[in-house]
Amino acid sequence: MNIEMTPLEIIGLKANLRATVQVLQRLGCTQIDELDTSLGARRLVIDSETLRIQEELKSLIAVVDGLLETLGNYTATPISPSVEMRADYSAGSDRPLGASDSQPIDCIAETRARVAELTPKVQALISNRDELQAELDALPRYEATLRKILPIVPPSAHEPGNVCVGVLVSRAHTDVLDHVGKQLLELTSGRSEVTVSDVDGATRAMLLVFPAEFTAEIETLLGREDVSRLRLPTELGQGPPDAALAALRRRLAVIPEEIQVLDHRLAELAGENCDQLYVCRAVLRDELEAMEVLAFLGETDMTFVLTGWVPTRDVEQVSSSIKERVGETVLVRCLPMTKEMENKAPIVLQNPPPAQSFESLVRLLSLPRYGDLDPTRLMTVFMPIFFGMMLGDVGYGVLLLVLALGLMRKFRAGIIRDILVVLALGAGWSIVFGFLFGEAFGTLGESLGLHPLWFERASPAHVSALLLMTLGVGAAHIALGLLLGVWEAIKHKSRSHLLERGGMLLGLVALFVMVGALGDFLPKEFMNPAIALLILGVVLLGASFGWVGILIGPVEFIGLIGNVLSYLRIAAIGLASVYLAEVANDMAGSVGSLIVGIIVAILIHALNLAMGAFSPTIHSLRLHYVEFFRKFHQGGGRPYEPFKSELGTGANR
Amino acid sequence: MDAGIIAIGAALAVGLAAIATATAQARIGAAGVGAMAEKPELLGSVILLVAIPETMVILGFAVAAMILLLEG
Repeated sequence: MNIEMTPLEIIGLKANLRATVQVLQRLGCTQIDELDTSLGARRLVIDSETLRIQEELKSLIAVVDGLLETLGNYTATPISPSVEMRADYSAGSDRPLGASDSQPIDCIAETRARVAELTPKVQALISNRDELQAELDALPRYEATLRKILPIVPPSAHEPGNVCVGVLVSRAHTDVLDHVGKQLLELTSGRSEVTVSDVDGATRAMLLVFPAEFTAEIETLLGREDVSRLRLPTELGQGPPDAALAALRRRLAVIPEEIQVLDHRLAELAGENCDQLYVCRAVLRDELEAMEVLAFLGETDMTFVLTGWVPTRDVEQVSSSIKERVGETVLVRCLPMTKEMENKAPIVLQNPPPAQSFESLVRLLSLPRYGDLDPTRLMTVFMPIFFGMMLGDVGYGVLLLVLALGLMRKFRAGIIRDILVVLALGAGWSIVFGFLFGEAFGTLGESLGLHPLWFERASPAHVSALLLMTLGVGAAHIALGLLLGVWEAIKHKSRSHLLERGGMLLGLVALFVMVGALGDFLPKEFMNPAIALLILGVVLLGASFGWVGILIGPVEFIGLIGNVLSYLRIAAIGLASVYLAEVANDMAGSVGSLIVGIIVAILIHALNLAMGAFSPTIHSLRLHYVEFFRKFHQGGGRPYEPFKSELGTGANR
Repeated sequence: MDAGIIAIGAALAVGLAAIATATAQARIGAAGVGAMAEKPELLGSVILLVAIPETMVILGFAVAAMILLLEG
């Protein structure tokens, strides 16, 4: 069901606008709507100074976001500002009118100063760290090449005044090396030494040792021959390869320590500043939202006008808070709930704990409109039953239940918790249907002495019973949906929906009476009345569409039969699961080795379990969304999104 | 021989319907994901649209089951 909402109108002197908005933000229970221009007020014009402050807030929030994201990587524990710190900032908004007008400016100035002090430090540290990390990633590549060149370093490379240059060439072009070697000897008049070695399967290296005075000519020669030179980072010096390798290894040992020092410094900065930055950001966001909400308000020459929604239970609190903190010059008026208002009212679903986990599944499709039936509790009842019918295995049910309950200790809230609750309930029903069908890990239960309490669905003799059972379940589920749809149509006084859903319900009942009469489950005398009822149902269904209903009515009725047949998937998926489990058991037995057989069985059962958790969930959901909900659920509800402070609300819940 | 033909008939009934369903769902799914990239709130509608063609394979399964039960 959904919480009762009250439309509100708040009118006050413009001087009290900011204080009123602050009170509403701290209470956090008012959803502010766009102004209804029929009230006679015009849209509030926002001055340029407010717009300027808004832009400044946005850019400041973006910078703080960046700092928090960067520093957040260096905090061991999640950022969690103390309650006292939050209260300090929250208390700021309780200051009297005059002082509170200066609060946004104080907050922006304070944050700007903190960011101006912190940003250069953080950027410098991060930049240094990135450079060191890049060096740490690059140096090992040089190490591999230098180690290969090391054996060919001649003694002359260590003589003072000599330069050592490494050249790398593809093995397909080794003739270039010979040519360069000859050119070098000619240039230096024989005062050079050349050694050659293979670096890897594709590359050949040449070491040129020559007096430093010939450096320019050698560089020109190498450039002319277009050979790539082994260039080392400047930190490794210009010495021979063995000296460069020693320097490289020293750097590799030192760099991680330097990175650690920088990380430690960043962690210190994070510890000193993150909590404060987090609260500053929350305050700035509150301020920004308080300014952005002004776009929804209206004004006259002297007053502001605000319209919105509040849960009826909170109306008194809103009214008394505004009177207490702002004064008597602001009027809070409850508006009458008209039909048009009901279409705009926001929805807050309110359900007991097990059903609360299914609210997110209902929201996935569409919230019900205000006053419409909330399908959450229906889904809570039927979805696990369908899950259980499809999986229908004691062994799989127990494993899923244990897994779901175990993970629920870790995930206490959120969508994952909701899915785990759905799985746990479904697993429970799987165990029930497992006993009814006599299944535990497929047909393994039979060898353990488990016998079906109802019927063995995997047996060819009982397939018809299984199919008829699922059709019966489908017909009953859809009939319930249509009954609810008829009730909703009567409640909303919708003639077309009443004819459509009533006609479908009559036709469905008539169809099953006819099938019962044909199958000798009912007396033959029921046949003629059933045919008459069927025709009546199709005519009523067609009448809901107007003149085109002559064609659409029968087509829609055939669609309804298709909806009922869709429930055959319960049988199909269930049988697929049973037969896969049977394959697992049979393969385990036919392998020949006990241990290998057990491993094979475990793997296939694990796969079946994974599919058994996923597939029945999706198909149960689909049956609800497509076959069941469409019979009564209109959707189109607005979610309840109250205007509230990020720092925390003053509302008691 | 008859049993083999009955089995082939049942297999074709569900197999061809499955191919049709897969083809339809592949196109709908691809279009749905593209729409959701721009509007994530369409997730519920996309699930619905992708689920609708499954009726074909279920009807194929129903026909296959009828063939096997009535003729097999």
